[in-house]
Amino acid sequence: MNMENGSTDRCPDRCGTLPSCAPLATGYVPFQQVGSPRYGQRDALSNGTLFPALNLPFHLAIPGSKVSDGPLGELQALCFVLQELALYLDTHPEDAEAFALFKQYTAMEKTARENVEKNGGPLLREQAANDSKYTWLNDPWPWNFEHNEVK
Amino acid sequence: MFIYEKKLQFPVKIATPNPKLASYIISQYGGPDGELGASMRYLSQRYAMPFAQAKGLLTDIGTEELSHLEMVASIVHQLTRDLTDEQVKANPGFAAYFVDHTAGVYPTAASGFPWTAASIQSTGDALADLTEDMAAEQKARKTYDNILRLSDDPDVNNVIRFLREREIVHYQRFGECLRNVQEKLDQKNVYLYNPSFDKNRMAKG
Repeated sequence: MNMENGSTDRCPDRCGTLPSCAPLATGYVPFQQVGSPRYGQRDALSNGTLFPALNLPFHLAIPGSKVSDGPLGELQALCFVLQELALYLDTHPEDAEAFALFKQYTAMEKTARENVEKNGGPLLREQAANDSKYTWLNDPWPWNFEHNEVK
Repeated sequence: MFIYEKKLQFPVKIATPNPKLASYIISQYGGPDGELGASMRYLSQRYAMPFAQAKGLLTDIGTEELSHLEMVASIVHQLTRDLTDEQVKANPGFAAYFVDHTAGVYPTAASGFPWTAASIQSTGDALADLTEDMAAEQKARKTYDNILRLSDDPDVNNVIRFLREREIVHYQRFGECLRNVQEKLDQKNVYLYNPSFDKNRMAKG
């Protein structure tokens, strides 16, 4: 699927693969190659992609963005890596290395989630059943300025 | 089904309210290339998708767009919090929104046109839909470029930069998905049948 050009030579990481011959009158986006370099979770979240090859900022964008290093920031970063891996796997379902990472990050996300819920209250309504009273309603809600304070 | 998770995908923490900027950014909530349209487009199109990969990708990107919708709303909400009458009067661009919606969040384009399903399509044709989706990601990327031109608030631009980059990643994935769909079709003429509708003919080859 990723090597339609029939060659085992790797393109540079910012490039992908195209068929050597292809039907006319159809659109072609190069396939991202397997084994692309990846950011760590914090850099992934702050850049908006797990993959340096896909990081294509606007000339007016401020470089990288600051993401809080508290438990919520860690959870957001891990969830984000999982989202990126999922979209990648949706179009590269046979990539075993990416699937192994997906499993590994899922385990890390579970721990990070427990750390947030310990002090920050339930993230899912059903988690409120573990508390002594109904904490689902507790402020702040995610869109409130206070919610995103560094904890 | 959908389950609400009480967190944002990416933190939104705007220190300084700025109603004028909110009146631009609202376009990515309810404008023609905004996140409401994106989520409704993908989550509606997925039902006609003939292959599991396309069903999955539209579900996963459509769901992510709902979390972007929430982030854009959070920016608008925080940019318009604790406003005084004087601040509203001093921002004629925002006053037109304010007279109808106060500091509520309403799906409208920056130009004042309310969100409309006329700005999206669900064609029941996998090739047409995925091609529209690639265009939609480019149009949203362009809107975020233009917001970056208009905004000098680093707290806002942090978030806009993230959302803009997501459009580029989604474009890549839709492009890969389009190729995966095309490869399942007749290579001599990928337009011989509509793979979403002519399923019986497709099976017979």
